[in-house]
Amino acid sequence: MGLLSLSADPEGYGLWEQPAEKAGMLLSLRMLGQFGAVNAGVAFAWHRIALAAYVARQLRLPLNADAPLAATLVPTGHLGLARTSLARWLTGQPPSDEDSALLADWLNRREHDTVLYAPAAWESVLLPVWDQHTIAWRRVNRSDWQVTNCARAHGFDELAAFRLREPPASAAPIVSVPGDPRALFTRVLKMDMLGLMAIGGGALARAQTMATDYAAVRRQGGKLIAAHAAVQQLLTDIESARLRVDQALGSFGLALDEVDLGAVAASRIDVHKHLCHAANQAVQVHGGIGYMRDLGVEKILRDQNMLRLQAGGIHDARQFVAGWKGASA
Amino acid sequence: MNHPAHLQGHLPATHPLSPRHRYAQFPWAARMMSDYAASDLWETDTRRLPAALARIRRRARHFAEQHLRPLAAEADLAPHLPPGECSPSLQRLLAEAGRDGWLSYFLPAPLGSMPWRALRHAPVWQSSLVIEEFSRVCGGLSLLLSAHHLGVMPLLLSGNPRTVLKYVAPIYRRCRAGDPHLVAFAITEPGAGSDVEDGHGAESYRPGVVSTPVDGGYLLNGRKIFISGGDLAQSVTVFAALQGEGMASWTCFYVDCNAPGFKLVRTELKMGMRASGAAELEFSNVFVPHDRIIGGLRNGWAINRATLNTSRIPVSAMALGMARAATEAAVEFAQQYQLGGRPLIDAQDVQLLLADMVAETRSLRSLIWQEARHAWRPRQLHAALCKFHATDRAQRVCEMAMDLMADHGGLHEQRVEKIFRDIRLTRIFEGTNQINRLSLVEDWQTQLLDPDTHSMRPGVSV
Repeated sequence: MGLLSLSADPEGYGLWEQPAEKAGMLLSLRMLGQFGAVNAGVAFAWHRIALAAYVARQLRLPLNADAPLAATLVPTGHLGLARTSLARWLTGQPPSDEDSALLADWLNRREHDTVLYAPAAWESVLLPVWDQHTIAWRRVNRSDWQVTNCARAHGFDELAAFRLREPPASAAPIVSVPGDPRALFTRVLKMDMLGLMAIGGGALARAQTMATDYAAVRRQGGKLIAAHAAVQQLLTDIESARLRVDQALGSFGLALDEVDLGAVAASRIDVHKHLCHAANQAVQVHGGIGYMRDLGVEKILRDQNMLRLQAGGIHDARQFVAGWKGASA
Repeated sequence: MNHPAHLQGHLPATHPLSPRHRYAQFPWAARMMSDYAASDLWETDTRRLPAALARIRRRARHFAEQHLRPLAAEADLAPHLPPGECSPSLQRLLAEAGRDGWLSYFLPAPLGSMPWRALRHAPVWQSSLVIEEFSRVCGGLSLLLSAHHLGVMPLLLSGNPRTVLKYVAPIYRRCRAGDPHLVAFAITEPGAGSDVEDGHGAESYRPGVVSTPVDGGYLLNGRKIFISGGDLAQSVTVFAALQGEGMASWTCFYVDCNAPGFKLVRTELKMGMRASGAAELEFSNVFVPHDRIIGGLRNGWAINRATLNTSRIPVSAMALGMARAATEAAVEFAQQYQLGGRPLIDAQDVQLLLADMVAETRSLRSLIWQEARHAWRPRQLHAALCKFHATDRAQRVCEMAMDLMADHGGLHEQRVEKIFRDIRLTRIFEGTNQINRLSLVEDWQTQLLDPDTHSMRPGVSV
């Protein structure tokens, strides 16, 4: 249907194919919201696949025409967002020795494991690496690196979890960014963070429908639970979270380069907390049945937790925002 | 192994400007008020306990480390078994727990395994200590071993020595012999989760399990759902209305799971707590003789509420144990994980996060021990307060741990994702936390409506 970017055609209008245009951004965010409403795990996988294709196009790397869905992407280093150092580097602040050392370590795939959540059959992954004081990229074939299958993850049941480690003698070539590497990395982070929020917003919409529908039929104390203030509060929390997400995404519905990454990262901290809280409230509306896998609302909670933990998570995002505003370590 | 002398941003304890270093040089009288050894926090708390309870706490921790730890991940990841089946490793655990006295500690010897010296302290306190240790290692296994006590509690709360001797003593005897007889507590019915845990809801409750009088006893018909441990129980304390009556007629029946008409229908596939089954039970003309009516006809509602008051503080301890596990996992991660050549724990923002986690965890323990210490006759207000507050806050602690680990936090091997899934149930079972908040007010209303009667001075005391 053209929703996913499966070719190198620069005229395509699928997911993350035209983020430079406002319409392309809105289309991608709304698509991810729709996907997320159905299945956040699948939506996440498609989001990262589309990002991989976007980065490949920017790097002028050929897409794998035989298995376009088998290429994915990890947009960050091995943990968090490199405290304040990455943001300082992205904003062009003069990097201290400590910043350079931290970025080199953050993107060091040889000494640290990189966590990957992807379809079980993934074949290659695009990763940022630190090379000659800048961020370059590597496309790694699965067979070329040490890949450890992890036990079942917290959420994204449709995907599998892996630990990746670069072997001592890695053959994967480093690909320099044509043009400004800072600009490309900034764009990738923005798309990734916005995509995660959009998927979470869609999943929340689904949870809200489930909770509202349940509250309209389930009785307690002789009346529908929707008539109890305790449940009304839960439903209002969900509505409030949905509005926050809508407002946040609405404010970022611009051409990609008009969006400020620091603002996206700051917003993400707040948005993901509310998304998780709302998913918890949706489980709580259902009571005991909400805890059972048959229903599916608990999966939305687990997936919201997973979305919160991606792209460096929200703990280190506070340091990132501080760095974006000029703070040093 | 060489340990660094200090964390980044802090002076070493031996530095002249370290206050602890200087306390030791105070005059004797001042040292008596200031000098201290910075001992392990768990040890500090254990030493503050009465000796008998401190011994129980140490034994529980040892048992959990030795017998629960090796099974925790396996039990969580294992495929969902058909109802009634139990893996050999869990069977061995139950037998070992029984032999070690963890399934019979609500009565002293010769009937049970409670140490005589512990009798001086509220059993709820003892239970809370044990459950914290077990749930710290695995929430699901902790529930597997504690749901049994919930099942036995109505028999104890019958207050009838003959009931205790006739039913509880043999149950405890088999547990001590390593052939556990497990008991489940069955109140929840389809479409009536909260109605069975809240007085206001109970008023309009339409019975889902009904008892009909026949010669020599009663016939039970209906279904119970989400019964923790109902899949492995040999007997169940079942609460049922009398035919044609409502919740006020609720009566506790002690049902043998081998009785004709009793059926284990299914066990639920849950988000977490996967080592413990949540069973659906069906009763089709299950005959219960008169001598298996516990506490008398129409006393079931009160026994049910008293049972919940007894169990909600230990449920708080269950959440506490998991908050502690999340905090410990976060500390370990922060100590071991290196970013930029330094352990995470050197970072000030990480230290701030860990400080919040340990403060939350220890605040919960303070609350729980304060209430458990005095829970000889557990008051609904105190039990409900502990339950909703501790379980809500414990989940917050777990979220902090996951946030620290970022995308590593979703991996099963980091443990905190499982802790989150386990904790999540504690905010739902034994009454949702919304119902528990209302239970607090229900119990408090006497003072709220007429504060002068119960207080030395006008107004409501908190």
